[in-house]
Amino acid sequence: MGWTTGPTTMKRLIAIATAVLLVVATRDVPAQQAEHGVPELATGVCSACHGPQGHSISPVFPNLAGQQAGYIVLQLNAFRAHERGDPNARAYMWGMASQLSDATIKSLADYYAAQKPAPGESGDRALIAEGAKIYNQGVEANGVPACAACHGSDAQGKGAFPRLGGQHAEYLIAQLEGFQSGTRANAPIMDNVAHSMTHEQIRAAAAYAASR
Amino acid sequence: MMRNRARCPSGECSPASPPRGRLLAGNGYATTFLGALFVALAALLPARSADAVPSYARQTGLACEACHTAFPELTPYGRRFKLNGYTIDNLPQVSGISPTKQETLLLNQLPPLSFMFQTSYTGTKTALPDSVLPKSFAKNGQVLFPQQASLFYAGRIAPNLGAFVQMTYDGTDGEFGWDNTDIRFAKAINENLLLGLSLNNNPTVQDPWNSTPAWQVPFDQRSSVAPTPGAATMIDGGLVGAGVAGLTAYAYLYDSVYAELGGYRSAPAAAQIDSTSTNVVNGVAPYWRIAYEHQWGRHSWEIGAYGVVAKLYPGGGIALSGPANKYSDWALDSQYQYIGDDHIMSVTATYIDEKQSLDATYGAGASTNASDRLKTFRIGASYLYQRRYGAALGYFETTGSSDALLYPAGVPVVGFADGSPNSSGWTGELDWLPYENTKLALQYTKYSKFNGGSSNYDGSGRNASDNDTTYLLFWFNY
Ligand code: HEC
Ligand code: HEC
Repeated sequence: MGWTTGPTTMKRLIAIATAVLLVVATRDVPAQQAEHGVPELATGVCSACHGPQGHSISPVFPNLAGQQAGYIVLQLNAFRAHERGDPNARAYMWGMASQLSDATIKSLADYYAAQKPAPGESGDRALIAEGAKIYNQGVEANGVPACAACHGSDAQGKGAFPRLGGQHAEYLIAQLEGFQSGTRANAPIMDNVAHSMTHEQIRAAAAYAASR
Repeated sequence: MMRNRARCPSGECSPASPPRGRLLAGNGYATTFLGALFVALAALLPARSADAVPSYARQTGLACEACHTAFPELTPYGRRFKLNGYTIDNLPQVSGISPTKQETLLLNQLPPLSFMFQTSYTGTKTALPDSVLPKSFAKNGQVLFPQQASLFYAGRIAPNLGAFVQMTYDGTDGEFGWDNTDIRFAKAINENLLLGLSLNNNPTVQDPWNSTPAWQVPFDQRSSVAPTPGAATMIDGGLVGAGVAGLTAYAYLYDSVYAELGGYRSAPAAAQIDSTSTNVVNGVAPYWRIAYEHQWGRHSWEIGAYGVVAKLYPGGGIALSGPANKYSDWALDSQYQYIGDDHIMSVTATYIDEKQSLDATYGAGASTNASDRLKTFRIGASYLYQRRYGAALGYFETTGSSDALLYPAGVPVVGFADGSPNSSGWTGELDWLPYENTKLALQYTKYSKFNGGSSNYDGSGRNASDNDTTYLLFWFNY
């Protein structure tokens, strides 16, 4: 294809651009290793949705920062095996998890677990107060157990029990609704918990947990 | 997509929008061969889930909705995928192989090919006279089957290297041609800084937002056989019409600040550049772009600016030396997007201001003024319910200096009133997406002004409203 005029300018442009890229590309190898073993996938892939260091912006994407490593491993396995099948899990995470090896899953889980959790989300005061009661004491009338028993007194989670503190309230609501309606059907414990909750109770408990 | 192809159906538009180069113009054997190749490759594409997955979805395992609201509009993640060089996937991690994993791996090892098919119906309010707009089947109620069929190579080529390459068969002129092409090298330096290079053939085709000319919704689709206004700025289709190739380098910082700089050269597909070529770029036309995007919750808002400075030899029989015309375009753009579970909304707007110093054209006695001005403003809003039913409304307006020689009177349909390039109107659209990869659009475009006038603008009795266009489009991607 014809470069009829001033080909030198274009060549120079390409040469400069290539040089800049080479410098950047070669420099970046030690730089990345220096970052205390941040898994390459976390930077290049997961962060596009879950945000840098696992702090996401849209509530469609859960925060991963400070999440329990054991729980992350279980979830990535559940996505990979197509067991966690709510619509967003199918649309986003089935593909993402399909090629992850056990070792990679482990390193991603350790990386995100070590990040500083997102600060508690603020929300409607009255709703949060109502949620605090449900979270700490449960609702005896319709058989809802205290969330604190499993998710921890400060919603920090432990092992297979996920951190709820600092999570997007909207995401927590969507998950509780998923347990209830059976779209996220691979968690019998939570199906039982959410089974008898009213919509109002779900909103309140989520708002409180997210505010921790 | 490819609004540029529709820009100049007659090949006789104003100097601002010359016809684009063709790869295989009029070569019957090559066309037939490519046609066969096309069908064969399309048949090879693997069937997978019902998730409607062209090659990017095949590569990432993501549903279309991860990247698109309603295609071609991108979500925030879609923009990141594009800026990352179309390379995001997790293939390098393959190690343990189970039967199901192996299947996916096989799929991904196929070349990332996708297929797009469009068929359409176009009606203008008043039929066009015969003989005008050759090749564009001037009759009313024109059905094009196919209007356009494209084969894409879209996906990762190598680590950090990816492509969006579109080859299109155009039903209007029955030829294959290169369409939008964007080949990228991108590298995330860390979680906060992404650097990349794009080699492309259409200034703004590489842009991740849908507020710049190549992909502005809801203006990205229009009929290729209905008349469209004759004046357009260089950044808004003029350069791509002339056939260019460019290289740009970009940086994306903290998921919010975007800066890009590069240049375009003349490169009409498979055509020799000589004095019969039109609008040949003298040297390199620098292109620049800056943008800032803020995201909060499910909202995102972008504001930015972009521009190009192009020195062009008008050509068309005049030697490619001596004085050149200089076009300086600068533009502002903004995009707001809300992506809820049930409701999706977006607003896109752009304003383009072009200063033309017509040294060459004026010197040759082909323009009345030594310098002219041309401005375009477009704003559009679209709404999508449950990613299935959509509606959009847009307003467009081009105004500029009157120039009786540049915008000549007296040609039926494509002539100008009073040497004025002014056009304006509204576009409304209803969409139905029965599947994630299929779109049925009913579009109506209403002109209040066309090529400088409302009534009898072409001197042959045609009114702007006679060009009001009903356009029914079926669009399928595989
Ligand atoms: C294209 C967007 C996208 C990308 C890229 C992505 N995810 Fe996700 N991820 C999601 C969405 C959406 C969900 C929520 C799914 C749901 O609602 O069931 C999710 C959920 C998760 C969960 C479960 C969190 C919880 O609280 O239950 C984990 C763990 C996870 N992702 C890890 C990862 C890892 C590791 C990567 C990189 C290999 C990654 N994701 C890449 C979109 C993405
Ligand atoms: C008996 C233990 C137990 C109790 C009590 C319990 N949970 Fe859970 N919860 C779990 C486990 C285990 C999971 C992880 C499920 C899985 O592996 O998919 C979970 C998951 C969740 C999730 C999904 C988190 C995510 O990141 O996707 C939410 C939301 C949640 N619980 C809310 C609650 C609320 C609100 C309560 C109180 C009303 C509650 N849980 C009580 C054990 C419990």
